[in-house]
Amino acid sequence: MNEDELILMIGGPQGSGLETTAQILTSSLAYSGYGVISDREYYSNITGRHSYIHMNVSPHRIPLDLTYPVKLLGAMDAETIFTHFNDLDKGGFVIYDRSVRGRKLDSIVSMPPITKSRIREVLEKLGIGRDAGSLIDYLVENRGITGVELDFRSFLKDISNKFGIVSTQATRYTSSILVGALAGLIDIERDAIEYGLRRRFGSREKLIKHNIYLIDKVSRQVSEEYGTPMKLPPSKLNVGELLVASGNDIIAMAKVVAGLRFQSYYPITPAADESFFLETYNNFGDKGSILVIQTEDEIAAINSAIGAALAGARSATATSGPGFSLMVEGFGWAGINEVPVVITYYQRGGPATGLPTRGAQSDLMYSLFASHGEFARIVLTSGDHIEAFYDAIEAFNLAEKYQVPVIHLLDKFLANSIVTMEIPDLSSVKIDRGEIVDGGPGYKRFDLSKTISPRAFIGSSAVMWYTGSEHDEYGHTNEDPVFTARMYEKRMEKLDIMDKEIPLDLRIRYYGEKNPDYLLVGWGFVKNTCLKAIDNLKRKGLKGGYLHLRMFMPFPVKYVEEILEDMDISRVIAVEHDYMVQSALAISLFTGIRIRNSIVKYNGRPIYVHELTEAIEKVLSGEDNRVVLTYGA
Amino acid sequence: MARNPSTYRSGLWIDWCPGCGNFGIITAVYKAFSELDLDPSKTVVVGGIGCSGKTPHFINVNGVHSLHGRAIPFATGIKLANPELTVVVNGGDGDILGIGMGHFIALGRRNVDITVIMHDNGVYGLTKGQAAPTLKRGIKTKALSKPNIQDAINPIAIALSAGYTFVARGYSLNIDHLKELIKQAISHKGASFIDVLQPCVVYNNIYTREFYSERIYVLDEVGDWDPEVKSERVDEMMQKIDQAWRRSLEWGDKIPIGIFYKNPNYSTFEERLSMEVPTYLEKPPAKQVITTSEGRPIFTGDVFREFFSKYIIRTKNNRR
Repeated sequence: MNEDELILMIGGPQGSGLETTAQILTSSLAYSGYGVISDREYYSNITGRHSYIHMNVSPHRIPLDLTYPVKLLGAMDAETIFTHFNDLDKGGFVIYDRSVRGRKLDSIVSMPPITKSRIREVLEKLGIGRDAGSLIDYLVENRGITGVELDFRSFLKDISNKFGIVSTQATRYTSSILVGALAGLIDIERDAIEYGLRRRFGSREKLIKHNIYLIDKVSRQVSEEYGTPMKLPPSKLNVGELLVASGNDIIAMAKVVAGLRFQSYYPITPAADESFFLETYNNFGDKGSILVIQTEDEIAAINSAIGAALAGARSATATSGPGFSLMVEGFGWAGINEVPVVITYYQRGGPATGLPTRGAQSDLMYSLFASHGEFARIVLTSGDHIEAFYDAIEAFNLAEKYQVPVIHLLDKFLANSIVTMEIPDLSSVKIDRGEIVDGGPGYKRFDLSKTISPRAFIGSSAVMWYTGSEHDEYGHTNEDPVFTARMYEKRMEKLDIMDKEIPLDLRIRYYGEKNPDYLLVGWGFVKNTCLKAIDNLKRKGLKGGYLHLRMFMPFPVKYVEEILEDMDISRVIAVEHDYMVQSALAISLFTGIRIRNSIVKYNGRPIYVHELTEAIEKVLSGEDNRVVLTYGA
Repeated sequence: MARNPSTYRSGLWIDWCPGCGNFGIITAVYKAFSELDLDPSKTVVVGGIGCSGKTPHFINVNGVHSLHGRAIPFATGIKLANPELTVVVNGGDGDILGIGMGHFIALGRRNVDITVIMHDNGVYGLTKGQAAPTLKRGIKTKALSKPNIQDAINPIAIALSAGYTFVARGYSLNIDHLKELIKQAISHKGASFIDVLQPCVVYNNIYTREFYSERIYVLDEVGDWDPEVKSERVDEMMQKIDQAWRRSLEWGDKIPIGIFYKNPNYSTFEERLSMEVPTYLEKPPAKQVITTSEGRPIFTGDVFREFFSKYIIRTKNNRR
């Protein structure tokens, strides 16, 4: 579809340096001016299980979507070839070590038996033997794929001899062989590779030197034999600087800008990297510091964050579904006590442990209604790294302005994908702490003369009380039937105030032309996939629109109603990473309009442009009103 | 001039049962606060849930009536965000050692400068007398249909192993003694724990006033009792923990109260944070200004670029 874009994949066992490889490649390509997205798919495992990096490199845009097939497959092992051979495009290249040819499918212990038997069936159908060699030969003979066979051992032996590296240590350089081969086929220039290595290894000169030598050598050998068939056209992106960050990184950076001063967390995938980042970047000298604390569990995480907020610090915690499940009682306490605390919530596959390292959007309804009782809250979602940056800052502003807990709802897809992006523009970023007072004698924390009572911090000149029980204006327990209803209403009325005041742009966006032939409705990470699919279909003469839902509480009822009432509802399709199509449920709950078409995916892998495009056509043709996507390994 | 104890009364009607041991505890708290002359606006009492959890409402200092078992995390967040505050936790034995045990241990490990006053009555009073963690096995209080089949927790021994650097036991009806313990605990630099034996007059017909008055003795009145670690020597610390632990096992004809262990030489969490961020105590999270006078972030575009330079790539052609 975009012939000048390059889709590539590298795969291998977890712990074999794939992440490093992806970082080096991403930096090198960004240095050359290309836009890159790099998605990491992995098991909950430290060493040995299959993981892979799926990249989209573009010379003319900053890609935020993923698609198949891939043009290049770099394999660290036979499992990668068995797992991904169907992902390869005609005319593509597979890079592998000579030794994998002899590996048999059945002998790969790290591959789950179910996966093995599924692949075995495919191989049988195609009449291919169960060894990697036969499979490679099949790809070469029948699918127009070129096998780039390298002798990994001889390369490693060479650097081992050349630099006096013990041979067991030399194996750590295996991933650089793949970098070299890819650099050769793509024609990444040497200075770009060197840049990528420096960025990864800093001042570890020896390591850089060894890697450059190895990459150079492999790259030369590969391009001598195969040319540079995947050479990218020069970048047309007019950018002088690119920020390269994962979703976790960008949120952490936003929190620094937002003035976060207290972050608590308990380690959990895929949220912990954000807190890790903050632990590294927590001291800004005379500009302040952030206290990042690893607590004993998520219960302590939320409750200590609430405590810090009561004392006046901008405060947050970051977690994922299982962690949030433990936080819910504290979340309700923040609700009844009108505490501005931000919960950065990275969804993963559930329930329970579910798919701990895979993505999902199945916690939407949970975020909207988590906790017993009712209270005003904000649930804000972001469609990509750029949105997430500004939203993460706004989450704090809204929390403090309206004195409500805020859930910033994200997902694993965003958390773990590394993208290039333009450096955020901070010139229009504002910090709004809401109405803060010093209190003084007789201070009423829950003063009923205003729906949003002026807030004094514990530690100011005032004395105040908080309680998880229903309370009076001072914060003392109160169950008077008349008064109770008033305090209840004070909290709930904030939903109306927020609905009136929060700018629409933060809550919903419409992309596309007016009066589209069909409308996609989505939120979160599906955004850019939808936009790309719409773009693809435009070339086929289909005019699409995308309604991007951002804030689910308070829900932008009027706007959604207006858009949907203008549409033929049979031409509206909800796209989501779950089974129940929770965003469509939310729409029908808040507006009464029921979207009947859906394209869903709940196997933990991201929705890819190619499968979404096909599915949209299928729905629009009337063939099916629900398509379940399953692509990916 | 020090504030009068009555300054610390919130004026709310205290809805504990007549004769409840909690009255002794709160009286000791009022007196201790008064003698320490604590500034009500710079003092925070954090309660859990249960009879003891209501304590914050009855005291005229900042009060946070939190969640069951979670007083310690709330207190930790408050204290670390603003370490100049004096933070005291009040919770029952069910609250602190039952549902909140993980947090109790974590506070010891961190040695944050917080005082925990545990109202220890062996029962869950507010839910009608179920067995709480300090109720011994085999005991059948009147609300129980059968004798308790779970073993009791030894709060002193747990506090010692968790790392509390001030561990004491008081008795709610020995108010002046308890007041002194509270004063010392608050003045102590680090995590302090006071296990306060407190008869529940309604639901615990075993651990009664009579039960305790026959058994309690004051450790200080034992000839050469010295609970304090005076050096930074590990062997001295171990010897003091060891003697405290032995005393903690006494529960029979004689039950000791007083200071079991005290170590003022151990690093607090706040000190550890200061090692990492030297400005921490001077500019803790709650006291930092995070916005310019125009309501902009402190981080401008230039500062952002410099601080996160590792994440910024200047592209080769640098066309801009």
